Parts: sequence; structure tokens; C-alpha cells
Amino acid sequence: MRGLVRWSSKWWPGTIPLAVLWAFAVWSNTGRLETELTGRSTAALNDILLDKRRVAVSGRDVTLAADAFSEEGRRSAVAAIEAVPGVRLVNNETRLLPEAKPFVWSAERDVVRVTLTGSSPMPASKGKLLEAARSDLGGVEVVDQTNLARGAPPRFDDAALLLLNQVAKLKDGKITISDNKVSLSGMARDLGGREAIAAALKNLPEGFSVAANEITAPPYVFQAYKDPVALTLTLTGYVPDNNVHAAIVAAATRKFFSEKVVDNLKASLGAPAGFANAAVPALGALSRLSTGTLVISDREVKLSGDALYDAAPGQLRGNLVKDFPQGWQLKADISVKPAAAPVDASVCQQLFSELLAKGTIRFESGRSSLDLDSAGLLDHLAEIALRCPTTNIEVAGHTDGDGDNAANLALSEKRAQAVVDYLVKAGLPAGRFTATGYGSGQPVAANDTDEAKARNRRIEFIVKEQP
Amino acid sequence: MIFLAAFHWGWLLATLLLGFAIGWIAVVHRGHGVSRSLARWLALLVAALLAAALARIVPGEPGYWLDLGLLMLGLYLIGCAIGSWLRAWVLPGSASAS
Repeated sequence: MRGLVRWSSKWWPGTIPLAVLWAFAVWSNTGRLETELTGRSTAALNDILLDKRRVAVSGRDVTLAADAFSEEGRRSAVAAIEAVPGVRLVNNETRLLPEAKPFVWSAERDVVRVTLTGSSPMPASKGKLLEAARSDLGGVEVVDQTNLARGAPPRFDDAALLLLNQVAKLKDGKITISDNKVSLSGMARDLGGREAIAAALKNLPEGFSVAANEITAPPYVFQAYKDPVALTLTLTGYVPDNNVHAAIVAAATRKFFSEKVVDNLKASLGAPAGFANAAVPALGALSRLSTGTLVISDREVKLSGDALYDAAPGQLRGNLVKDFPQGWQLKADISVKPAAAPVDASVCQQLFSELLAKGTIRFESGRSSLDLDSAGLLDHLAEIALRCPTTNIEVAGHTDGDGDNAANLALSEKRAQAVVDYLVKAGLPAGRFTATGYGSGQPVAANDTDEAKARNRRIEFIVKEQP
Repeated sequence: MIFLAAFHWGWLLATLLLGFAIGWIAVVHRGHGVSRSLARWLALLVAALLAAALARIVPGEPGYWLDLGLLMLGLYLIGCAIGSWLRAWVLPGSASAS
């Protein structure tokens, strides 16, 4: 042992190559070691949920900067790195993710883009929401500007997923979750979208409630255009359901005796209350115009066109305002068609016959009240009568063979009188008309079928030159 | 420590061999040795560095260099001790001749 102490005093010359060796080792290994430790530390953190993670290694010391989602997460991240072999010290620069209070998340849509803003609870749900937004909103650009934060209400993901699905139904607007209150604003893309969104909101997860739903629907539009040249009535726009659809088309077919009804209507939710009760009388008014357009937009009815005689615009306005359901508005822009050239008695007769061949004046069954559906036809008859002011006109009523003769005679005369009254109200002098009832005495067809009977129930106009 | 040894095994082996060689020739070396007082100062210095390394007060890369340096120095001394002792044991004559 004494020898070892003695020899050791001679060991010093080796320290010079040792220093050289050390310098080389340091020079060649520092970078390699740091790379190795960075890799191992990063791998150790793989299973730990962190945001904005940054691992820096200097020598054998690791600096970890990250946002953790809980204190537990911070501790386990540091412990995981401390357990990496070779690591000497861990500089813990982690912090707890800030807590958002209130926790606000929103999805805003303009026509071509959806922007997600506010806070997301976890990277996983952030990714899930972005993916859901992309699949729900096929083709629309989705921009995710959310930041991670703590403090999301329970079942946040489910609520946000449901609301993203509603964003797809918006044309533009914004849906916001603030803690557990949901507010919506904007305009639905389609008719019925507002109702669909309101229905979907009933499925919000437990604990969430709707603070404000200010989604508006696009206007509910129904249009009818009477084209006097093509002899068509074109219906476009929306009707509430198939029953109303059928009823409106049937009413149009009855009211427009000479026009072909072109039906381009679509059934859709979102109709204003009383739609059918407003649309049918409005169509009746349109039938009394020579040419015209009817536009129903929500509860506003716009009727424009040319009436056939001076008294008609006032009558139309008065009747419509009376017939409309509560809350509906009429904007009528009706002018009067310029009077056509006067004609003599024979042309007048021919015009009456042609018109009555196209349409039949209808009455309520078994009674002498005029059917409202015949107003269009009656207005056209009045227009013809105005063109031959020098004639007298006999309005002749006929019935079918059913029932007893005296009653038929009385009924046919009353019906003829009702037509005369209508014409007088249109502004024609009462003195030009005589109402005659012929009962079933002058049938134009044998009373053996329903069709033949219908032909026998008729009003005829017989024109005579004034003496 | 095990990680350091495994990571630098080549360098450490070289250090050990260097120590062994120096230890082997130290037995018959005729030059001046380190004086007793200087050896004490050097021991004090190494002890201080060792304390600094154990306390981990040197940060970052210098800390790593210190650890590696001390590890290499330790192995060098062990190599020297083995070399000298082995020479003295295998060739007692040469040792006594000095």
C-alpha cells in the first residue's frame, strides 16, 4: 500500500493525454447525448396529455414547457422525464392550462366559411369538433381558431356536435355556447330550417339550455302569374303540405276557367298561419284580372295587374281585406285595362257564347247564390257587356230535369237575377238586362247522365239590339 | 451513471487503458513525483469538483462535462492503480530496483 502511494505521485504525466481525451469526448458526445435525451424525453411524454409542449435539453438537463390540463398531469409529466435514464435535472416550466370563465365556444357561418372560435376543452375534442364540422358542412371551408382551456361544462362535446349539425342548416349566423347556455342567431338556409333547428335543440344534452334562439326563416314565398297570351296560370313557390297543395290547385282550376294551370309548387314547412285561407281568396282576386301577378311573401300579399272594369279594383280590395286571416296585409296595385273597341250586337252575342262555352257560371248547390269561383268568368262577361252599350241582354236561367217544375222555374229565374245583380254592381245599367227563368223546359242534352244534367244547368246571354 | 457508462463506454475504456499504461510505467519512472503538499491541494480540488457534481450545482452542458470529466478521472486513477499494482506483483524485481 505504501508503494501505491509512492507510485501515485508519478501518475501525473497521464493527466495531460487524459485532458485531451476528455476534450475530445466532450466535443464529440455533447450533441449526440442531447439528441438522444430529447428523443427519450419526448417519447416518455407521449401518453401524457399536454398542450404547447416544448422539450429543450442542455447537457443532461431537460427543460419542459407545456400547458397541462390538471395538476396531476403536470406532476406526471415531470416524473416521466425524471425517470428517463441519463437525465440529471428537470427544469419544470409547465403551467396549468388557463381556465375559461365563462367557457365560450362559438361557430359562425357566413355563406362560404365556418369559423370556430373561443375555447375547446381537450385536443381530442377540438379535433373531433373540427372533423365533425368538415363532414357536416360538406364543401364549406372550416377554420378552427379555438384555444384550449379548462372549465368546459359536462357533456360539452355532445352539445357542440349537435350544434355544429345545426350550423349546416344556416345560411349565415352564429351559434354560441357560454357555459351551459346556448344562443343562436342568423337565417336558416331553407324554409323549414328554423323549425328543424328548434326541434333539434330539444335534444341538447342534460344541463344545457337555450338562452336565445333568434334564427329567422327565409321569406315564405308563393307566386301566381296569369299570362293572358299563353293562357296559363303559373304557380310557383311553397305550400305547407300536400293537402293544401291539392286544394290550391283545385281552387285555381275552378277559378281560372280558360287558363291552363302550370303547377310548380313545392311543399315546405314554415308557412305563416292561415296560408291557405289567404292564398285561395287572393287567387280568386287574380282570376278577376285580365293579366296580373300575385306574390305572397310571408304574410304580405301583393297583387298587381289590370282589372276589367272601373268598379273592379275597389271590389277586389274590399273583398280581400274582408277575407284575409288576422295579421295578413294586402298591397294591391291594380289598374284598369283600357276599354276595348265597341262591337255590335251579333259580335257581342258571339263573344258571350264563346266565353260561356269555356266556362260555366256556378251557383251554390240548390240555391241561387253565385259561387265565388265564378267571379272571374262573370267579370269577363261584364267586360263584354260594356263593349256593346247599345244592346239589351236577356239573361236566361236553365235547370236540369231533376225536381219539380215550379221549383226549377223559380230557381232558374232567381239564378238569372243573381247574374244580373252582379253585372249591375259592375257598373252596367240595370235597364239593359232582363232575367228570365226557363226551368228545365229547354234542355241542351237528355237528362240521363250527371254530365248531361250539368250541361243543362246553365245561364245563357241573349243579345238584342235596343229598339 | 449506468447510462453515462453505457453511452461513453469507448472513451471510458480508453481512459482505463491510459491509466493502466501510466500506472505500469509509474513503477519504474525516475522523474519527479508530485509533492505531498501539491497532492493535497489537488485532492482538495477534486473533492470540491466532486461535491459540485453531486450537488448538481453546475447547470446544463458544463454540468455534463464535469460529470464526464470526473468519471474519466476516476477510471484513470483506477487504471493507474491496477497498472502499478500489477507491475509490482508480476515483476517484483523491477519495482524494488527503482
